[in-house]
Parts: sequence; structure tokens; C-alpha cells
Amino acid sequence: MKVSLFEQVPYRYLPAGFEDHYSSVVTTPYFDLVEPERMQESLQSGYAEMLHAARAGFDGVCVTEHSQSTYDISPNPNLMAAAVAYGTRAEGLDTAITVLGRSLGKSREPLKVAEEYALLDNISGGRLIAGFPVGLSYDANQNGAIPAIETRERYNEHRDLILKAWAEPEPFAWNGRFEKYGQVNLWPRPIQQPHPPIWIPGSGSPGTLVDILRRDYAFVYLSWSGPKLVGRQVFDRYWEFADKQGRDRNPYRLAFLQVVAVSETDASAEKEYSPHLEAHYRAGLGTVPVSGFAVPGYAEPVGIEHMIRNPGDLGMLAKMRNITYKEIVDTQVAIVGSPATVADQIEEMVRDFRIGNLLVMLQNGSMPRELTEKNISLFAEQVLPRLRPIWDEEGWENHWWPTTSKPGTETETAVATAATGGEA
Amino acid sequence: MTATGIADARDEVVDVCDGRIHLHVKVVGDGPPLVFFHPLPGLEWQPILALAEHHTVYAPEHPGTTPGDPQAIREVHTFWELLLAYEEAFRTLGLERPAVVGMSFGGMIAADLAASFPALPGRLVLLSPIGLWRDDAPIRLAQMITGPPEELPNYLFKHPDSDAARALMALPDDPDRIPTAIAQGAWNVGCTTKFAWPIADHGLARRLHRIAVPTLILWGREDALVPAVYADEFGGRIAGSRVEVLDDCGHAMQADQPERTFKLITEFLR
Repeated sequence: MKVSLFEQVPYRYLPAGFEDHYSSVVTTPYFDLVEPERMQESLQSGYAEMLHAARAGFDGVCVTEHSQSTYDISPNPNLMAAAVAYGTRAEGLDTAITVLGRSLGKSREPLKVAEEYALLDNISGGRLIAGFPVGLSYDANQNGAIPAIETRERYNEHRDLILKAWAEPEPFAWNGRFEKYGQVNLWPRPIQQPHPPIWIPGSGSPGTLVDILRRDYAFVYLSWSGPKLVGRQVFDRYWEFADKQGRDRNPYRLAFLQVVAVSETDASAEKEYSPHLEAHYRAGLGTVPVSGFAVPGYAEPVGIEHMIRNPGDLGMLAKMRNITYKEIVDTQVAIVGSPATVADQIEEMVRDFRIGNLLVMLQNGSMPRELTEKNISLFAEQVLPRLRPIWDEEGWENHWWPTTSKPGTETETAVATAATGGEA
Repeated sequence: MTATGIADARDEVVDVCDGRIHLHVKVVGDGPPLVFFHPLPGLEWQPILALAEHHTVYAPEHPGTTPGDPQAIREVHTFWELLLAYEEAFRTLGLERPAVVGMSFGGMIAADLAASFPALPGRLVLLSPIGLWRDDAPIRLAQMITGPPEELPNYLFKHPDSDAARALMALPDDPDRIPTAIAQGAWNVGCTTKFAWPIADHGLARRLHRIAVPTLILWGREDALVPAVYADEFGGRIAGSRVEVLDDCGHAMQADQPERTFKLITEFLR
């Protein structure tokens, strides 16, 4: 299987008790809460940790987009992805770059997304995985000011436009409902033609799953809400739909995000990580108002009704604001422990749910860079080797991974090295 | 005269937009025709029945808010198309210069219909309409909708604990119907805010001068959603209009000051 580092870029110095006074998104007062030097350090640590993971042997790194947020200060993930793409290339690493991604329901300039992704695919030497998320409601509708009821319609049009812009040889006109262009003729085009692998993150609603399978994309489930609580129903539904659509049960059709914290022993892991994990969930997702996930019009009435009648679908999301460390580990909101403990739990879950592409989130909230890099190193050295061969014996091919992925040529590496002054 | 009730209303379906939309119009009461445009949350019976005491009230349901037909909203792409749909419905229903009354979001529709099609209404009543914007008096509509539900009454009512206010916010008694009601309510707001998000300004200020019928503008002095300064913004742009600002009254004047509100409307339309 393939294992990528999933990195969000939080401000790491929120005050204790933040969750009692603030929301983590949209309205959080910047100047009251942020020390400029610590913001710089928080952001730069994120980039450094991604490079650390690439050097440690992760198959890929993955970034996401959020505006006006304390827990992921990433208004355009392509900025981070570009730095990591070039840095890894310069060092001769073939790390995949997953942008998960520019939110197409929110984007005002979808062609810009097409151009940026195409540029990333070139800079990285064809190592881009293109994420096409709709966008969270608070981000699309509150930050992005898109009428909630139009989010999905815009998403659909923007995705169609981007796919056509990548592959269409001749300049074409686009007369969409939301976008009008007289002449579309993208420079550059993605190296991976007709398009890089496409991953679609979603909450597991039937409509999204069917769309993904029909188009033969990969489904990404980002679970912060506890796979013990929600995994079974979402993944079983996905594979049942795959059967119905006539798609095979290739595990690489499924990518899954898991929060992980590794230390030498179970006891040291709890000691080192529990304060950071508790604070992260309470102050981050825990303080996003319920409406932030569904501004009226974002979800169909049947979906809302289903959610109210089946609150279990939300897992721990509903009580994040007061979550305890015990609840975090019991529900596997995070998997924490020694390398053996962590590998055991992940392997069981991966085999059970048929996960072929694993994303691990190893930095959370206030975790400092030193501890994060320790987490990354231990994971790479002692957990990753146990996970990598999991699907080998079944012989599946990962069609949802970059095809042109290979280290840079000697010339290319030399140019990059000279430009950065680094050592290849 | 016996009081008019919901049971007296009939549901008239009007096909508009080349048959793409089946507009549901509640028709109730007896007297000269009056068209009522509902506020953001959807159809509201209390003002309709009050107006039906003296008029035949035609109350269209905003596309998408009719239970069982949520996707109708997809067929209305722009606010201009919404106005065209209503203008077409007036003709199909054979309404000749009816009184037009609009409340809040419905007030914006009523005002823009009257500005876009000056010969359409006979008289116009605007009840704390949205549709204009002043930087020094922001309309906190997006904040109200995305804020905690328990704060909602504070935006709408001067007296959130009154029976009338509680009745407007009430959920069904039957617990099994509550999820459906919440989902329908949220969807209704999604359908209406499509044309009011995040700022309900479609350039109405530049068209209001076209309104050519007697116009009454009512406002609650303590309106916490659309500040009362907008009463004069409307009044100043509509020649000959009359502005009444009600004391001890918030945004939802039908709950805070029902008697004075409907008395003023009835006298104006007489």
C-alpha cells in the first residue's frame, strides 16, 4: 500500500481554554490571539515537517485548503505543494504530491486551479495527485460567500471545465452557467494525460460515492470522527456500491486519513501526545459551529433529516469540544502508542476496510516541530515497513497513484541543486 | 364575518418559466386581490390569514420551499429569473393591479417587482424589507443564519418570549415530525438565501425610483436584523411613499405588533 503524510498547518500557540471563548473558524480574532513570530514559526514548521517526511521515506505528502481557520492556515494549498514539489525534486525524491485540494465548490477562478495543478504536475515531474473537494460549508459559503445551494452545482461545472482544459488539444469556448470563457487554451498541460489521478474527499453520502465509482476516481475519507464509530457503515457502503457499479474491490480505490502518534512505548506516547491531542480536537474541530458544516442549502433536505435521525453518523464530531484523551484513543479518533501498538491497530483497520492509500496525520494543534519530527521518523522507520506490503499478495495495481513518478534525471537534479544551494 | 382559517385555503398550481416551475400559490379569503410574498423561512399563515379578512390573498411559495418539490429551486438561476417567474404568474392568474405585500425577503421581491414592472401592482406594502445596504448599518443576515439557533429570536423579535414569537419558532408537537420540519426549514432558508447571500443587494437602490404606485413602508424601531434606518432609505427613493416606524417592535412586526401592523395595512389598502 501507499502511505502519505497528511499535513495541516495550524497556529500552534492558541491559549489554554481557547474552546471556551472562540470558534476556530470564520470569526476568530487574529490580532488578539497571534504573536507574529510564532505564526511564522508555525507555518515554517509545516513545510519543514513535510520535507522531513519525504526524506524519511513516505510515499507522498498531502495538503488541504482552508481559509479563515486557526487549525489549517492554508488558503491556497498549491503554495505549499509547490515548495514541497520542488524541494523533493531537487533532492531526487519521488514523493507524490497530493493536493486535497482546491475546493471547487468555492473557487471563483476554476481555470486558475487547472493551471496551478498543471504547473505542479510539471514541477514535480508528474507526481501530482489532484484532489477535487467540494469544500466545507463554512469555507465555501461563509468565507467564500457562495450561496450554499449553489455549492454542488458550481463544483460539478468547475470539475468538468478543468478536466476539459487539461486534455482538449484545441482552444475551446466555455459557456457555463457560472463561468464563461471565450478561449481556453491552458499552458502548461499536466504531464499525466489526460489527467493526474483524481481523489475525491467526501463524508460518505451515497450520491458522492456513486459519482466517484462511476468516474473511476478514488474516494478519500477524512475521518476525525472516530473510525471505530463511523468506518464500518461508510466503507461497507462504498464497497457495496462498487459491486453494484461493476467496479472491482481494488483497495487503492479507497484512501483514508488516520491521526497517529507514535513513541517508544505506549506509556511515553500517552505522556507526550495526550495534551496536544485533547487541545487540538477541543480547540479545532470542537469549536466549529454545527452550522459551519451545513449552512442552510448546502445539504439536501433528505440528507439533513437522515443526519438528525442518525446522529451516530457524526461519530465523535458532535462532542469534540469536550473530548477526553480516553475517548480519542477508544474510538480511534487517534491511534496512539508504541510502534507495535500503532502498526497492529492500523493493519487491522486497513485490512478490514480495504484501504489501499493511507494518509497519516502526525502533527496536531500545539505539537512542536521536534515532537512532530520524532513522530514522523518513528512512523517511517518502524510502522511504515509493516504497512507497505499489506496488499502485495493480492496483486492489485494502484491506478490512483502517479504514473510518471521517478526521481529526477541527473541534469535536472543538478540544476535544482544549484538553484537551491542544497545538496542532492 | 367568520374568521378565515387554513382549511379555507386552496392550493393553486401555476406553471411558469416554460413549464419548468410549478409555482404553488395559496389562495384564501374574499375581497380585492392581494399578493403576499413570505419572508426567508417560507410560507407563514398568520399574516396571510390576517390579510384574508379583507382580501383574496394569493401567497406564492418560493420555488423549492413547497414540501415534496425541493429541486424546483434549481430552475431559478438568478434573481432576475425569479422576478420574471412572478410577473408571469400574475398574468397567468389574471391578477390586475393587485395590492402587493412583502415581508422581509418577500419585501425585497415585492419592491423589485414594482420597480421592474411599474404597472404590475395597484398598491405596495413593504414590511421591513431587505434589499438595500449601508456600510454603517450592516444587515447581519448571514450571521443570523450561521449563528447559534438559540440567538435567532433575538434578531427577529423585540419580545422573543411572547406567545406570538414562540408560536413562530415552534417545532411540531409530534417528535417524529421534528427532523422533517427542521430539514424543511433549513432547506427553505437555503432556497431563499440563494438570492440574498451574503448580501441582499441586487441594485434595487438604483431602481426604486421607478415605483409608481402608492406605497406604505412599515418598520420596527428596534429591528435587530434590518436596522430602521433603512425605512427612510426606501421612503426617500419612492416618491410619495409613506413611512411608519412602530415603537416597541423588532423585525418580525407580525409577532411584536400584530394589531397595529395589520390595522395600518388594512387602512392603507382600503
